[in-house]
Amino acid sequence: MHLKTRPYLISFALLLLAFVLSVAIGPVFIPPGILLRVLTGAFPGILVPPGLQETFSTIVFSIRLPHAILILLSGAALAGSGAVYQGVFRNPLADPYIIGVASGAGLGAVIAMAIPWPNSFLGLYAVPVAAFLGATLTIAVVYALARVGSSLPTTTLILAGVAVSAFATSLTSFLMLRSNNELRRAIGWLLGGSVMSGWEPVLAMLPYVTLGLGALLISGHALNVLQFGEEQAQQLGLPTERVKAILILAASLTTAAAVAFTGVIGFIGLIVPHLVRMVWGHDYKRLIPLSIIGGGTALLLADLLARVVIAPQVLPVGIVTALVGAPFFLWVLRHAKNQAYW
Amino acid sequence: MRRSSNPILIFLLLAIGLLFSSCKSSGPSAQGPIQVTDKQGQTFSLLAPAQRVVSLAPGNTEILYAIGAGSQVVGRDSYSDYPAEVTAVPDVSGGFGDLNTETIFSLKPDLVLVSELTPPEKVKALQDLKLKVFSLANPTDFEGMYKNMEIVAKLTGHETETSALIEKSRARVAAVLKKIAQTTKHPSVFYELDGTDPNAPWTPGPGTFVATLIDMAGGKNLGDILSSAWAQISLEELISKNPDIILIGDATWGGVTLQSVKERSGWNALGAIKNNAIYTFDDNLVSRPGPRLVDGLEAMAKLLHPELFQ
Repeated sequence: MHLKTRPYLISFALLLLAFVLSVAIGPVFIPPGILLRVLTGAFPGILVPPGLQETFSTIVFSIRLPHAILILLSGAALAGSGAVYQGVFRNPLADPYIIGVASGAGLGAVIAMAIPWPNSFLGLYAVPVAAFLGATLTIAVVYALARVGSSLPTTTLILAGVAVSAFATSLTSFLMLRSNNELRRAIGWLLGGSVMSGWEPVLAMLPYVTLGLGALLISGHALNVLQFGEEQAQQLGLPTERVKAILILAASLTTAAAVAFTGVIGFIGLIVPHLVRMVWGHDYKRLIPLSIIGGGTALLLADLLARVVIAPQVLPVGIVTALVGAPFFLWVLRHAKNQAYW
Repeated sequence: MRRSSNPILIFLLLAIGLLFSSCKSSGPSAQGPIQVTDKQGQTFSLLAPAQRVVSLAPGNTEILYAIGAGSQVVGRDSYSDYPAEVTAVPDVSGGFGDLNTETIFSLKPDLVLVSELTPPEKVKALQDLKLKVFSLANPTDFEGMYKNMEIVAKLTGHETETSALIEKSRARVAAVLKKIAQTTKHPSVFYELDGTDPNAPWTPGPGTFVATLIDMAGGKNLGDILSSAWAQISLEELISKNPDIILIGDATWGGVTLQSVKERSGWNALGAIKNNAIYTFDDNLVSRPGPRLVDGLEAMAKLLHPELFQ
């Protein structure tokens, strides 16, 4: 029992640490004592300069907390879906964007940015809505194209995903060059540098992530069986096609919701599940929850780095995930006890 | 087969529904003695002239300083570098066109002046913090720019100085137009925005302020044949159109010099290069929608028609 709960305890402790750091550190310095008081709700009897307290609590509650939660959800969504995609496709290279979610979302977002909306309210919400629609439509198209009769061959799915992605990506580039708006917004979005602010994106994202990750969390056993190969799994009584369909839809929807509000953040969905595998093994019953927790932690830390490395400037978090994540991943890969772990 | 196409549809509908359900509108409030109208016709009001202004576009910053509201500026974006004294004001950029919401909020501004280029996500983030955010429209002509100046004047309490400044600007523009009216010569002008790819440099297309300025200064913007407002033109097309004058706007940010342009392969086929009718041009005078556009017009007119400005 002790050995079974330890990975969870360690992961949760790391997540908590990353979360607290993320809320504590920002361009405006908040003394730890005041931060604690803001967070625990003002204790009576402790004097805080009036006005100052209000600024700090607004910064903590309206800027940093929603940002940290959104980043946590997004990282959890990406890493959870990444683990599941790798399991479904039995391919170590699979990531949450493998069947075109990112390129579809990117196309949707850039279309929404290119349209001169009559008012700023539409201009604001058009981007996440269009990104989400782009992502889900792309999945639907890829899915429909890849289906052969009643089965869904994995290879066809990946190939269809790659082709549709390439098409959507070039259409996105074309639109960016043709649009008269500034490109920085679109580029920032595509680099995962446009995390939306405030509580609304958190609330909008929550149902998808809860639903999607919930479905993924209970799929551990099915994925374990699937690792024997589809034919074997079928013989063992697993309704392979239906399981695959449900998992792909759930993972894609979760990813789409994350991408809609934070832009395309790469690499987290690829490396976090692998890191978990290297440290704690292959059992999908454990791999998925640990990847979800680890994804949240990793993205919170990457986002923190993005905010402090060249402060007061902020790097798009998508750059940091790969720039710091890749060497770290390689280091773990070299030092993993079990070299041939996949 | 038929059975499995339905879940996708249901997922999609559910997805759209959920996304929309979380979006709610916040209505603007119209009260207070100072009232101005934005591009969408929405009323924006302040109880008193703003004393702590954060300016998030170089054009806005230049307007603020030109009308005498410079001392009220408490924050700026990183592109705001004129006049020189503004560089002493805290930079609130997050980099890469991003803005640091937290820093802006901690400056406690009573007015945040954004532009149409400010991402709407950022505008909303600032509005969510109950900050007063006003977006200045991107002007397409001098009158639009004057209107922006008047709006900023009202919001910051500098109306008298501003109407004098606008008067003066109008007179300067009229003087240029009067001189240009004396000539029938309209040289074609190629304005280079970005020559990173010398085989397909970026140039302003029709409808841009640069095109308008070239036209007012008695020239013809070669980029008018293109279909986008900002576009790349092929070197072949450029050679076949053979502009009379080449203006190098990207010399403003360094890297490009007249010499380096002349040395580009193939560019020696251009008549303007052979005749040495190639000049650097301070791009900040034509790309920032602020009072220095008048300087830009004068400089442009003198370059295109030196004979009229002896």
